[in-house]
Amino acid sequence: MLWVDKYRPKTLDQIAVHDDIAENLKKLVSEHDCPHLLFYGPSGSGKKTLIMALLREMFGSAAEKVKIENKTWKIETGTRKIELELTTLSSTHHVELNPSDAGFQDRYIVQEIIKEMAKSRPIDVNGNKSYKVLVLNEVDKLSKEAQHSLRRTMEKYSASCRLILCCNSASRVIEAVRSRCLNIRINAPTNEQIVGVLRHIAKKEHLELPIGLATRIAVQSNRNLRRAILSFEACRVQQYPFTENQVVQTMDWEQYVAEIVSDIVNEQSPKRLYSVRLKIYELLVNCIPPEVILKKLVSELMKKLDSELKHEVSHWAAYYEHRMRLGQKSIFHIEGLNTCSFVNFISKALANCNFSPPSN
Amino acid sequence: MCETRVEHSEEIGNRFVRRLGSVAIIIHKQVSKLILEDFNLFTKDIYEDLDLSNVTYVGKKRKQQLCLDCGDVKDLWVDKYKPRCLAELAVHKKKVGEVNTWLEERFRMSKVNSCNNVLVLTGPAGVGKSATVHVVVSHIGAELCEWQTPTPTLWQEYNYNANSGISYISKLDEFETFVEKIRKYPSISSSSRECSKKNIVMLIDDLPVTNGRAADGRLRHCLHSLVISSQCPTVILITESSKTQSGEELLLLLEKAGASKLAFNPITANSIKKTLVRICREEMCSVTPEWIDHIAKGSGGDIRHAITALQYLCLRPNLLVSLPLSIPISCSSKGEPGVVTSVQSFEGLDEKFFSLSMGRDETLSLFHALGKFLHNKRDTEQPADLGQGYFQLQEMFMRYPLKMDAPEKILSQAYAEASSVADFLHENVLDFISDEAVDDAVTIASYLSDSDCLSATLTIRGSSGSSSILSRHDSKNVSQQVAASVAVRGVLFGNSHPLPSRWHSIRSPKLWQIKQLSFIKKNEILSKWCEAQCCFSICGFSVMTTEYQYALQLLGSKVSSLSAHTQNSQIYKPEQQDIRMGEQPDWMATDESTTQVGTSSIRQASIYDLDIHISGESEEDEIEEW
Repeated sequence: MLWVDKYRPKTLDQIAVHDDIAENLKKLVSEHDCPHLLFYGPSGSGKKTLIMALLREMFGSAAEKVKIENKTWKIETGTRKIELELTTLSSTHHVELNPSDAGFQDRYIVQEIIKEMAKSRPIDVNGNKSYKVLVLNEVDKLSKEAQHSLRRTMEKYSASCRLILCCNSASRVIEAVRSRCLNIRINAPTNEQIVGVLRHIAKKEHLELPIGLATRIAVQSNRNLRRAILSFEACRVQQYPFTENQVVQTMDWEQYVAEIVSDIVNEQSPKRLYSVRLKIYELLVNCIPPEVILKKLVSELMKKLDSELKHEVSHWAAYYEHRMRLGQKSIFHIEGLNTCSFVNFISKALANCNFSPPSN
Repeated sequence: MCETRVEHSEEIGNRFVRRLGSVAIIIHKQVSKLILEDFNLFTKDIYEDLDLSNVTYVGKKRKQQLCLDCGDVKDLWVDKYKPRCLAELAVHKKKVGEVNTWLEERFRMSKVNSCNNVLVLTGPAGVGKSATVHVVVSHIGAELCEWQTPTPTLWQEYNYNANSGISYISKLDEFETFVEKIRKYPSISSSSRECSKKNIVMLIDDLPVTNGRAADGRLRHCLHSLVISSQCPTVILITESSKTQSGEELLLLLEKAGASKLAFNPITANSIKKTLVRICREEMCSVTPEWIDHIAKGSGGDIRHAITALQYLCLRPNLLVSLPLSIPISCSSKGEPGVVTSVQSFEGLDEKFFSLSMGRDETLSLFHALGKFLHNKRDTEQPADLGQGYFQLQEMFMRYPLKMDAPEKILSQAYAEASSVADFLHENVLDFISDEAVDDAVTIASYLSDSDCLSATLTIRGSSGSSSILSRHDSKNVSQQVAASVAVRGVLFGNSHPLPSRWHSIRSPKLWQIKQLSFIKKNEILSKWCEAQCCFSICGFSVMTTEYQYALQLLGSKVSSLSAHTQNSQIYKPEQQDIRMGEQPDWMATDESTTQVGTSSIRQASIYDLDIHISGESEEDEIEEW
C-alpha cells in the first residue's frame, strides 16, 4: 500500500494538519444533523481525508466498506435517450462520484443520482428516518447548467440526503450553490506541517530522516501533502539510508514543461514553435490536463521573464486560459500563449540589442 | 417479368419484340401527326427511348430494323467513336507506348520468365484506360479476355433464381473462381480454338466491391496470388475515384507483389478537342470551335464525358443556330431568351451555363483548397479602382487582393468541415510562414483560437437540446461556416510574408492522433486503477496523471526488492510502455499520406481518407461525451 493511503488519518481525532477544522466538524456531526458542506482548497491539502474521516464519524466503520462500480444510467429526456457510464464509490450510507467525468452531460448525472438516492431512503437502527450522503468531487468543473440543476435538486431533496461538495476553487462554483452550503476552506499545509507529517511517517516506518531532506521534499512539493508523501516514498525507494543532499525527483512532466520553456527562451521562430507543439502533444498524450500544462508553462515562464514582460504574458495567459474553457482544441490556445511569449522574448532581445530602454 | 421471359425463351421474346416494334411505329405515327417540327427534339427523345428498349430486349438485328423505321436515330457517340487504332487514341502517346512495350515484352519473355505478369493501370474515370488496352492489344494482334463484372443481383432476380434452383453466388466468389481458373489454366480461349496459338491478354476492368474486413482480406489474397502466379499478361484497371483507403492498400499490395504500375493522367484539352472535331466532321454537324473549346475545358480531362456532352449539344439545333461564329459567347447566350430564363443573370453567366449543362461539376479536393489557403497567392499591387464603399485602412491591415475566389466559395467547393479545416491549417501553416515572421504566427494563432471557440460554443448549445432539430441543425451549420471562414481568413490575413511557393507536403493533423492516443492512454490508466481499487479512493483523474503516475513509475522499478510491497505488487506494475508519438496504432498508418499540394496534381482520393477520419473522430467524440 502506498504511504499516502497507509498513513491517511482514518478518524477526525487522528487528523494532524487541520486539527481545528476536524474539531469543529466533530461538533457539527455530534448534533446528528449536518448542513450541506462545501470543502474547497488547493489540491493535496487534505479535503478528501477530512471528508472520509467525517463520514466515518457520522456512520461509523460502515462508511469504510466501499465498493467501486461502473454504473450506467439510462436517462430519458424529452426527445432522446442518453446512456451515461460513471464510476461510483459507495457504501450503505454514502455515494461518491465525480460528475464532471460525464463531460457536458453532467447535469443529467447530478439530477438522476440525487433522485435515485432520494427514492431509497435508509432507516437507521432505531427506526428513525436517516439520510444518505452524496459526495461530489470536482464540483468546480461542472458546467453552469449542471450547477444550476444541482441547486434545484439540492433544495427539493434536502430532507433525504446531504451533499458534500469538494472542489479546488470555490470561485467556479455558482453563488447559489455556495450559499446553500457550509463553506469550509482547507488551506494548503505549511512546510513545517508537511515536515511534521513526514517525520511522523518516518518514525512509523523506522526510518532515519534527515531534517534537511525533509524540508527540501516539503519545499519541492509546493505545499501539496500528497505529493510530498509520494516523493518521500520515491526517495526511499531510490536511496536508503537517506543523505542530507539527496536528489528529490520532480515530476517528469514538470521537467518536460521546464524544457519546453527553455526551448521558447532560446529561439523564437515558426520552426521552434512547431517543435514546441510536438512536445506539448506528448504531454497531452500522457493525459496531463491542458489547464495544468498552461499553468505550469506560465509559472516557468515567469521565472525567465523581466518584470516588465511578466504583466503582458500573464495577461495573455489568462486570456487563453479562458479561451481554452470556451473551446475544444486546447492546443490551439496553448499555442496562442506560446506565440505571445515568443513575441515578448523577441521584443526583449531587440531592446537589449539597441541598448535602449524597453518600450511597451 | 418480361425481361426474364425474353431471356429464357427466344420465341416468346421475338413475338414480344415484334409487338413492341409495332407499338413503337404506331406511337411514332401518332406523334408525328400531332407534333409539329418545333418539337423535333421531343420526338427524338422518344425514339431514343425506344431505341434503348430495343437494345436491352432485342439485340442488333431488331434494332437496325427499328432504326430504319425511326429514321436518324443514332448510337451513343461514345460507343460509335470508340478508338479503333492507335492514331485515334486521345491518350498521350508516351503512355500508349509504355503499355505497348510492356505487353510486347511479356510476349517475348513469357517463355523465359513468368513472373511480373501484371500491369496495374490507374487514373481518373474517362481517361481511356480500357480503350488504350483494347486498342493496344488489337494492335499487337493478341486476343483480349475480359473479366466482365457481373451486374448486381436484384432482389426479384434473386427470388426468381432461388425458385428455379439456381443458388446465389456472391460477386466476390465469382471473381475468386475466375482468378483461380486463369491461374491454373492459362489458355482459356475455349470458344475460339483456331486462334489458340494467339497470345492472350487478360483484362480485369473492375475489381469487385468489398465490404468488411473478411471480404477485403479475401480480395487481397486473391489478387496477391494472381500477381504472383498469373501465367498470361494481365492488366488490372483501377479507377482512381474509387480509391478509398482499402483501394490504396490494394494498390500498394499489388505493387509489393511485383505488379508494375502505370498512372494515367487526365486527357489534355487539346487532344480532347481534336477528337471532338473529328467526331463533328464525321457526324456532319457544325459546331463552332468555341463550343468545342468549352466542352473540352469543362470536361476536366474526361473524354467520355466530353463526347457525351457534344452529342447532347448536337441534339439541340436551336442553340447552335443562335450561336454565330464570330460573336463571343458571353454576349450570344445573353441574347438567347431561352437560355437566359434558365440561368439567372449572373456575371459569369456563360461559365455558369456551361458548367450547369455540360461541364463536370467543379469540385476541389480538400488538399487543393488547403494549398490555396496556405500558399496565399496575392496580386502584387493594389487595384487602382477601389469603388465607392472603400475607405482607407491603416497600413498594417492592408493586404494585396487575393489571387483566388472568395475563401468561402473555395470552402464550399471543397465540402470541407470547419473543424477539420482548422485542424489542417493549424497543423501546416507554420511551414508556410517565413522564419522571421513571428508576429504573423501570433496573429494566426489568435485567429485559430477564435475559430475554435466559435465552432465549440455552438456545438455545446446544440447539445442542450432546447431547440427543435431543424433550427439546431441550421444554427450549427451557420456557426461552422463562420468558424471555418474565420480560420481561413485569419490564416490568409495573418500570413503577411508568405514564403515563395515551393513544394510542401501537407500533413494530416496530428491533433487527431493525439486525441485518440490520449483516449487510449486514459482508459489504460483507469483500468489499471480499477484493478488496484482497494487502495485508492476516487481521486480526480488529473491528480492521477500528474502526481500518482510518475510516483508509481519511480516506485515500480524497484518494487520487487522491497518486501513490504510485495503483497500489493499489482499496484506497482511498472508502466508497460509509454505511448509515444513515434508509435502509431495500425489504423493511423495509412493516413500519413503526404500529398503534394500545388498547382499541378492533387490526389483526389485523399478526401475520402478524410471522410473516414471525420467519421472516426465523431465516434470518438461520442465516446468521450459519455
